[in-house]
Amino acid sequence: MNNRKKPETEISNPARRKLLAGGLAASGAAAALAIGGRQAAAAAPDPAITKIQDWNRYLGDGVDERPYGFPSEHEKEVVRRSVSWLTADPKSSVNFTPLHELDGIITPNGLCFERHHGGIADIDPAQHRLMINGMVDTPLVFTMEDLKRFPRENRVYFLECAANSGMEWRGAQLNGCQYTHGMVHNVMYTGVPLKHILNEAGIKSGGKWILPEGADASGMTRSIPLEKALDDCLVAFKMNGEALRPEQGYPVRLVVPGWEGNMWVKWLRRIEIGDQPWQMREETSKYTDLMEDGKARRFTWTMDVKSVITNPSPQAPITHGKGQTVVTGVAWSGHGKIKRVDVSIDGGRNWETARLDGPSLSKSLHRFYHDFNWDGSELLLQSRAIDEAGNIQPTKNELRAARGQNSIYHNNGIQTWHVKADGSAENVEVS
Amino acid sequence: MSKFRNLAVVAAVVMSAGIAPALAQDVGAGKKLFKKCVACHAVGPDARNKVGPQLNDLFGRSAGSIEKFKYSKAMKAAAEKGLVWTDDTVAELITKPRKFIKGTKMAFGGLKKEKDRNNIIAYLKTFSTGSETADAAKTKTDDQPEKAATTVTAAPSSRNLPIPQHGVFHLGRKALPEEVNAWDIDIRADGAGLPPGRGTVADGEPLFAENCASCHGDFGEGVDRWPVLAGGHDTLKEDRPVKTIGSYWPYLSTVFDYVRRAMPFGDARSLSDDDVYALTAYLLYVNDIVTDEEFELSRDNFSDIRLPNEANFTADTRKDEPHYAKNSEACMSDCKPGPVKVIMRARVLDVTPEGDDGEGAGPVD
Ligand code: HEC
Ligand code: HEC
Repeated sequence: MNNRKKPETEISNPARRKLLAGGLAASGAAAALAIGGRQAAAAAPDPAITKIQDWNRYLGDGVDERPYGFPSEHEKEVVRRSVSWLTADPKSSVNFTPLHELDGIITPNGLCFERHHGGIADIDPAQHRLMINGMVDTPLVFTMEDLKRFPRENRVYFLECAANSGMEWRGAQLNGCQYTHGMVHNVMYTGVPLKHILNEAGIKSGGKWILPEGADASGMTRSIPLEKALDDCLVAFKMNGEALRPEQGYPVRLVVPGWEGNMWVKWLRRIEIGDQPWQMREETSKYTDLMEDGKARRFTWTMDVKSVITNPSPQAPITHGKGQTVVTGVAWSGHGKIKRVDVSIDGGRNWETARLDGPSLSKSLHRFYHDFNWDGSELLLQSRAIDEAGNIQPTKNELRAARGQNSIYHNNGIQTWHVKADGSAENVEVS
Repeated sequence: MSKFRNLAVVAAVVMSAGIAPALAQDVGAGKKLFKKCVACHAVGPDARNKVGPQLNDLFGRSAGSIEKFKYSKAMKAAAEKGLVWTDDTVAELITKPRKFIKGTKMAFGGLKKEKDRNNIIAYLKTFSTGSETADAAKTKTDDQPEKAATTVTAAPSSRNLPIPQHGVFHLGRKALPEEVNAWDIDIRADGAGLPPGRGTVADGEPLFAENCASCHGDFGEGVDRWPVLAGGHDTLKEDRPVKTIGSYWPYLSTVFDYVRRAMPFGDARSLSDDDVYALTAYLLYVNDIVTDEEFELSRDNFSDIRLPNEANFTADTRKDEPHYAKNSEACMSDCKPGPVKVIMRARVLDVTPEGDDGEGAGPVD
């Protein structure tokens, strides 16, 4: 068994928070001093080289020490974290992906943010069933074994909670891209195209909507147009090659590419077909966007074009001093691929196009880099993504002008980090 | 792994050996009843403090002694007077917490039945190292060979049956009407799916007090940070809108559907259809949508009731917003008139609270 000690994952007091925001920066700066920012010339031989290290002399663990492998002890700060005051209870709450610790485009399974409304359902796959009912020729029941006999596909998609960055509507709130942007992850799913499963039951004419339902204690349900269901939805049982994690819907979940995370019903046990939407709690009371005039938009499904610089950021300051620097981040859009990402170091006055690297897939995270020579002066760092449909990521102020500040969901505005001369970074709003 | 592993085994061992079946029942029933506590308390290996302190090793422990948990003044005072948790004191607490410790912040109505209290106590003891049950579990399990690993799961029913005719791949089997009825409980805005049944505001009030008020408040006003269900009229354009059934929700069907499928939190699907009608009627009443306590809600009059905010929901018009609609090229240089200034810093508006009663910047869902 994995007997790693559970690291502290909650930030519940300001002291701890300052430690993250400021303390890291301070220790980073100290480290930079100690090693010398640019290592131009070594004054004394480096003991890391001249001394024989234990790991170079003694044997390490054998093959069976870690039947299920886990990260190095030195990476134990790399965990999902929650902000305890956001919700009343951890069984209906959220934690955040540590975006600032990751690179490339795939999110490791144990770091994918969690949002559930009734706790993590603990399901025996042998007792799990998927039912298709409603406006169909033959209502059907599938076991997990049945599902695995359909032709399957592998696809990489981002999943973003509609409330990602929702705390930032009223202005800069949380210091760290983990908290401001960490309700997103990007995973390769293996699953069965939903259309195969629906066609197996035979959709009656007049069927226009589906209602997926979870087996968890919240009985999660959302109405989804049949057109989307038949287009690119998957019924997935693997993530990044292995079984779904319990917190991500084990044994089976719905994948609704490019659309808000709440619709990707986890612990999927039933899909009903009907001719109207149902108006469930999660599409009326929640996941509707309240505008300034008191009206609310509903069925705002697509996640718009968005990006964020993950490094540097408040939890990941620049520790090496001035000189060659990697600015990196992620960009994504529910409308397709990312065409371009621009980076500004002066708060959005002037922009340079960043370099996209790694696979560029539709409705998936894209990784961008902006390699530059930092002169040690203060920066107002921003990134701006443009998707293949031509949508340009708006500023937060443009969004506020159109919607007010009470809509909670769908905040895809441009994020600004204020990087100071000591390399520390802070979440700010700019003119 | 830890001492808690024994819990499941105790029940199994005790049952199969045929000794003290009463104990096995107690623990099992207690485990079920603990659902009433689980929204606020955790037990077991990874137990953390939630709304209330974790309850491992409860018996013999002084009241108010879990480090890092912020107890009420009342609980601290009781602790100073020497309150220690035993069968009797826990029983008294959970009979009526606010009567036993006036001013406690354990917002729980209480367990009226002595049997229920005893069962919960039996269950909690399985997480207490010093107590008899845990000891019994240890001695019992030590000399039991490990059996669990050899259990074979029953073959799925579909094996070697004739290939069905439906569909393209001929996978799955026909769902029986009883199975569809067991799961298909959703109610649509037009009332489709409503079961037979009825209940009045007056029936709903005591049900709400017993099952819901510990979190949502007696009148749906919300305790601590638990959701507010009533009030908030005319606040949707304000700085801090209060979105409730009365002020925001478009359809009454959603109340019935959601309460029946998901509430009370931690004990879903425990209410009868009549209960849900009565609770829905009560929620209409606390939201001033009906005013007569004798008002009876049933499948017949359900669709006559409209919620006041129904007309204020619109389609998704994000595409028409100026920043998307203008469809221009992205500006690359001199995009802002002068040097850019910082106008707000996250560190100044430090919303991370001390302890657990801080005010958030805005809701997360
Ligand atoms: C709505 C939340 C809530 C529910 C439900 C709840 N409790 Fe509590 N409980 C609390 C809080 C908060 C405290 C701390 C009280 C204080 O400081 O005044 C507490 C304290 C306690 C204590 C004292 C622990 C200590 O460390 O001194 C016990 C024992 C206890 N609860 C048992 C139970 C049991 C058993 C149930 C279910 C039958 C239950 N509680 C249901 C919130 C709750
Ligand atoms: C232990 C605490 C608790 C109890 C008891 C409880 N609820 Fe809830 N209730 C919650 C939580 C937590 C949520 C939000 C769940 C989520 O985030 O998905 C909620 C949500 C709701 C909502 C939707 C609120 C909204 O604005 O979307 C309604 C309606 C509701 N509860 C009714 C009830 C009724 C009726 C009862 C009694 C039968 C009840 N609740 C008992 C904790 C509780």
